[in-house]
This record gives sequence, structure tokens and C-alpha cells, in this order.
Amino acid sequence: MEDNQYGSKMNKHALRITDLTAGYGEDTAVLQGISLSLEKGQILCIVGESGSGKTSVIRAITGWEDLQVREGSIEVWENEISRLSFKERRKLLGRTIGYIPQNPAGSFNPIRKYEPQIREMLASHDTRYVRSEVEKAFARMGLDSPGSLLGSRPYELSGGMNQRVAIAAVMLLEPSILLCDEPTSALDVMTANLVKDEFIRLNKERGTSILMVTHNLGLANIMADSIAIMKRGRIVESGDTEKVMCNPTDDYTKRLIGDIFSL
Amino acid sequence: MQIYIAAAFVFLLLAAVILAGKIAPNDPYRTNATLIRLAPCREYPFGTDNLGRCVFSRVLFGGRTTIAATFFLVAISFGIGTFIGILCGFYGGIFERIFMRIADIFLSFPQMVVAIAVAGILGGGMAGAMVALGITMWVAFARLARSHTISIRNEPYIMTSILAGKGGIYIMFRHILPNILAPVLTNALTQIGTTMIGLSGLSFLGLGAIPPTAEWGSMISEGRAYIQIAPWTVLFPALATILTITLFNYLGDAVMEYRNV
Amino acid sequence: MKQPGDTKFLITTVFKKIAETVLLLIILSLLVFALMYIAPGDPAEKRLTSQGTAITKEVLEAERARLGLMRPFLVRYGEWLFGIIRGDFGISFKDDMPVAPKLAAGLHKTLILSTASLILSLLVSYPLAIWSAFRKGRVSDHIVRVLSFIGNSMPNFLISVLLMYVLCIHFRLFPVIADGSPTSLILPVLSLSIPMSGRFIRQMRSEFIDQLNEDYVTGMRMRGVKERYVAVNIIRNSLGHILTIVGLQVGTLMGGSVVIETIFRWPGLGKLVMDSINSRDYPVIMGFVIIMGTIYIVLNQLTDVSYHVLDPRV
Repeated sequence: MEDNQYGSKMNKHALRITDLTAGYGEDTAVLQGISLSLEKGQILCIVGESGSGKTSVIRAITGWEDLQVREGSIEVWENEISRLSFKERRKLLGRTIGYIPQNPAGSFNPIRKYEPQIREMLASHDTRYVRSEVEKAFARMGLDSPGSLLGSRPYELSGGMNQRVAIAAVMLLEPSILLCDEPTSALDVMTANLVKDEFIRLNKERGTSILMVTHNLGLANIMADSIAIMKRGRIVESGDTEKVMCNPTDDYTKRLIGDIFSL
Repeated sequence: MQIYIAAAFVFLLLAAVILAGKIAPNDPYRTNATLIRLAPCREYPFGTDNLGRCVFSRVLFGGRTTIAATFFLVAISFGIGTFIGILCGFYGGIFERIFMRIADIFLSFPQMVVAIAVAGILGGGMAGAMVALGITMWVAFARLARSHTISIRNEPYIMTSILAGKGGIYIMFRHILPNILAPVLTNALTQIGTTMIGLSGLSFLGLGAIPPTAEWGSMISEGRAYIQIAPWTVLFPALATILTITLFNYLGDAVMEYRNV
Repeated sequence: MKQPGDTKFLITTVFKKIAETVLLLIILSLLVFALMYIAPGDPAEKRLTSQGTAITKEVLEAERARLGLMRPFLVRYGEWLFGIIRGDFGISFKDDMPVAPKLAAGLHKTLILSTASLILSLLVSYPLAIWSAFRKGRVSDHIVRVLSFIGNSMPNFLISVLLMYVLCIHFRLFPVIADGSPTSLILPVLSLSIPMSGRFIRQMRSEFIDQLNEDYVTGMRMRGVKERYVAVNIIRNSLGHILTIVGLQVGTLMGGSVVIETIFRWPGLGKLVMDSINSRDYPVIMGFVIIMGTIYIVLNQLTDVSYHVLDPRV
């Protein structure tokens, strides 16, 4: 059912944002006239400093309650979603849109075991709980002894472990579009590499379209098919990675690129 | 916005009871055998009670008794309780154990039960009622302040301060107090309503204000016997009580909401 | 780090709690006894006055000797305490009858009234609080909030007087004085339940909203987990706090029952103690505080233990 409406992989545009203006309060607009397009099976990186509004782009897509969309449209698999109610928007999350927050460690109930929580997650998407599948997903995140992990509660594990479980859980639903907010910034180098590899694997093998928000232009350069540079709620430059990196037209972009090589 | 509305009404209310002497049309204590249980009229807007006293004037003066006693009690309990609570939450150890044990002991007496027994033994009087409620009231503040302190004690910014070698007093006032003040202060505001309920409850039982002192609880209690023939002797002080408690609770809520934004 | 199902840890906690409870009960009794000890007036005199005997010096001396008032404080305290442990709460000043049977009869009636009120309040407030929290900001939430707000702002003596005025005098629906029949229980229970439900809804709603603002709820929603399961999780995680809320409200309920029993002449502990305060019958007052205090202590120690069980992080 979900697939008919949003997941029909025939569509070319996984995600298309047109002239989006949104804000938290009455007067401020954190996003001004944002236009973006994520093609099927591609990786798009939004690069910007903190406060540039890049996280708000993700919040506008996931339907963060406090963020009000004023103008423009957000299309997911060519269906307009920005005017959907909270409840309808929820149906997209998980399966159609996967979301990995900046620090996913706290995204499971700390005092309940992982197993029933993952069961509940799968049941919400009418998916059968197959233990071996879950264990495979855990293993891909470098988690050994997945069996005992399922029987433990998040508060008993380290922050790094919980992050990996949370990311594995998102992957388990095999979302057709994956949104990630600084996915590697809170991780150690080892885990960051694992996550990166997993993203690339998903992208290559399953054709998952990925929208990644990061302050790290270097990372974007490695992973992205196309890049959008954000500053103060606006997109100052966007295009194919190669084009943006080699022929930047905007001064801010030039500075960012300069920063990578000066390091 | 809500806060301003609530504050404005509270201000009006306070002005009314402070200026009771000027506003009241009659002497609240003058009895008049010929004007017993008079229905509300121009001279006696809320009628007269069983002793011919002006109910309107008594409601105004009664507000003074109730509100002043409540404010005094809440302020003292809040100050003592919050201070002890933060100390306990932050330092822990033997200090916390001693104080929390004392708090536990005070808390193990259900407040109104103690208040009734203590006030009963002290033989009534507003001061007795205040002591009776006060000996257990600070505990709630201390517990709340302590639990909030504990919940933020291991937050990164506190840890950073500790690691930076900042003193305990500095951290408690600079980091902990501002962070727990909102819930504790909001609790103090809501305690105004609760305290007023407690005090007027004791007076209603005859364990607070001593007749003929005008006090809402005791007025309702006195009027209860004549409620069939003179309902105004009960309804007006009842209305005043509900209005006042509602107003203070509303202010508390408004502040709480403002704090949450 | 504590492990789940660490039974050894749990058993230690329980034993600590039991020791603590005993200690608290001893301190409670000591304070109650001390309170009566320093209370104005001399028991022998109070006793004679409350019985209406003319006081002469000889009578007073004889009474003092008979009551053993000349002996030291601790001896008298010990005697009194062991009496209570054996179920002997002393002799009434008023009629020289043992106090214990009166207290027992009163407690029975008070338990009926309080339990009925508590159950009714919980039945009303728990579902409303969850419902309201999930619909935060909507019309239904506002209605629940306004109602609970009004309930919370009404002293129970006021509610009972107003209910009595409207329902008994105007409409003659109920008897004014509670005679122990089920119908006569309705008004006292309503008077206790209305403000208590108001308080419960407010406290529980804010607890549920706190839970809904937790990171894990955002996490669940972002994974598209159904609200049904979100509810399961917040109910599970809030249990400890909810029990604490209920435990603390029992104290308010005890105070409220004194007022309500007096108004409706419900023959419970509350009415008994008010009568005893008026006649200065100290053994009854002491018994009342001891009984209520003990129930309250034990109940809250139990909620404390269950908090440890329910939230293993604590």
C-alpha cells in the first residue's frame, strides 16, 4: 500500500524541495527559498556551518512539529507531503524515509530491552520479526554477540553501542530515502567508517537515495553525487560534486574548499 | 500574555484586601441583633450573617487574614526547603542522608493529619495553624529541589564546572539554582493555592482563625448551619475562596507555561 | 553498573527499606508521644476536666499517681509504645473505655471512604491524563485541563458544602447525613474525589508529557513506530513516578477525610479525632496520628521500593 503511493521506484525524483520557506516562530525564517532535488539512487550532501539551517531542512521533511512550513513544497517520490498532517506524515517515516539523528544513542527507550522495542518497530511496519535478519543488521554495524544485545537495555550499554544499534535499526527497515544529520560526528573513527561503508553499500546495492547533512565538505566530496552549500537559511551554491568542488562560483564555497586543503 | 492577565487580577485582589479598611462599607465585627441574616441589599451587598455582621466587609477582611498567612508560610517554606534540597542533591553523602532522613521523618507524617493534631493540641489560632502546616511544608520544596538537582548533577555542563575546579557554592548558585528554579518556583506558586486550601480547611474545622476573626474557612463553617435560610453567608466566602485559589493557580500555570516555551 | 534482575541488590534494598521503616515508625511514635508530653496542661487535670470531675488537690494527686505520671519520660514512652504494639492504645480520658476498639471501628469506616475515593479518582484521572497528554494543545486537552484545574482549585470542604446545598437541599437527592448506606457514601466520595482527580490529572499529565518529550519517543516516532507502542512505552516508563504521585496524594486524602467525615458525620477516624480534639481526649488523637502515620510511611516505603524495581537506572 505504502509502495503504491510513495515507494513506486519508477519515479525519478526521490525528494524534491521547491522554494521552501519555513520558520520556528512568527517572524524568523530559518529556511528561505530552498530548492533541492535528490534523484533516485543518488547521494546528496547539504554542507554548511552550524546555524546555517541544514538540520532544519531535515526537520521540514520529517515534519518536526515546531517547524512551520510557510511556502513552497516538499515532494517525496513526487507526492506533496508538506501539507500532510502529523499523523499522515508519520506513515512515511521508517519505511519510506529513514532518519538517523545527530546523536542516535538515546533513540530507544533506555529501560526496556532492545528485542521488544525492535519487534514493536517492525510490527508498526507490518514486518515479521526475523531474528537472523536483525543479527545480520547488527553485525554489519560491527556489533558482535547480537544475541545478548537484544536482551539488554540501552542504559546498560555504552553510548557508542547504542548509536550503532540505533543506526542498525533504521537500516533494518530498508528505507528508500535515508536522511542523516551529521551521521559520523558523534562516532569514533572506526564506527564512522563502518557507517560510511554501510551507507555506500545501501546506496549501491539497494539504490537507497541518501540525503546527508554535514559540516564536513571533505566527507561530502568523498560520498556525494551532488552537493548543496547552505548559509544563513539559503542555498548559495548547488550542483554535481565535481562541478561544485572544481568550479565554485560562490565566495563562501571557495572559502570552504580552501579550508579543506589548508588543513 | 497569560501571565500579565493573571498578575493583573492577582494585583487587583491584593489591592482589594489591602485596602479592605477603605473599601468595606461596614465594620466587619459590628454585630447587630436587628439585622440578622439580611438578604443582599444596597447597604449590605452580600447580606448579613447570623450575628447581623456585613458579609461583604467580612469577606474583604477575611481575605486579608487568609492571603497574608498563606504568603508568609509559602515564602519561608520555599526558602528553607530549596536551599536544603540543593545542598543535599549536590553534595550527597552524609549531609544528604541526615537531611533527607529528617525530611523523610517530616514527610512520613501526612501533612494535614499532623496539622490537625498539632493545631488541635495548640488549641486553635491562625499562628498555630501556620506552625502546624509549616513543619511539613518545607519538605516538599527540599525534595523537589533535591530531585531536580540530582537529575542535572551529572549533566555535562556541571561536570565541566566541577572539572574546571569551580567551588560548590559557585556551581550551586550559578548552574544548579537557575536550572531548577523554574520547576521549584512554579511549585511555590502552586503551593499558594494548596496552602490556602489547607489553612482555610483548618479554619473550617475550627482549628485556625478563632471567631470572631474574619476568615473565609470559618465563615463558611459558621454559615453552614443556616445555609437553607441564608445561603449568601456561605456562597460569598465560598466564591471568594474559589476565585482566589483559582487565580493563584492560574498564575502558577501561566508561569509554568511561559517557562516551558 | 547495576545489572537488571540483580536480585541480590534488590533484596538488600528491601531489607534496608524495612529497617528504615521500623526506624521511621519509632521516631514517629517518639515525636507523637513527645508532642502530647509537652502539650499544654497536665493529663490528670485534662482527664478530670473532660470527665467533668471537680478538681481538688487531693483528687489531682491521686489521679496522677494512678496514671503513673510521676515516672520518667522514657519509661512512660516505652510502656505506651509496647501497649500500641500489642494493640492497646490506652484508655480514653472521656469515658475510661479502651481507645483501640474505637480506633478500629473508625479506621474501618475511613478505609471504606478513602479507598472508594482513591479508586474513583484513579479510574477517572489516569485515562484522562494519558488522553490529554497525547492530545496536548488540542481542544480536548484544553477541556480536560480546565476541568482538572477547577477541581484542583476547590477545597474539599467547599465542594462538599456546595454539593450538599445543591443536591441535598435543592434537589433532595441524597441524605444530608451519612448513615453508612451506599447512597450516603456518594457525596463524601465525590467531595474527596473531585479535588483529588484534579490533582492526579495535572500531575500525571505533566509526567506523561515529560515522557513524550524524551528522546526515545522522538526516536520511535522517527522510525515510524505506531502511537499505540509509544503509549506502551510511556506508560511503562512513567509507572514509578505515577506510583509516587499516588503515594503522596494519600496523605492529602487522609487530611481531606477528616474534613469530609466531620461534615457528613461519617463515623470514621477523622470524625473521631475531631470529636476528641474538642474534648481534649489525647489518647485518641495520638492513636489517630500513629495509625495514619504508619499507613502513610509503609505505603510510601513500598512505592519507593517499587520505583527501584520499575526503573533499574535508579
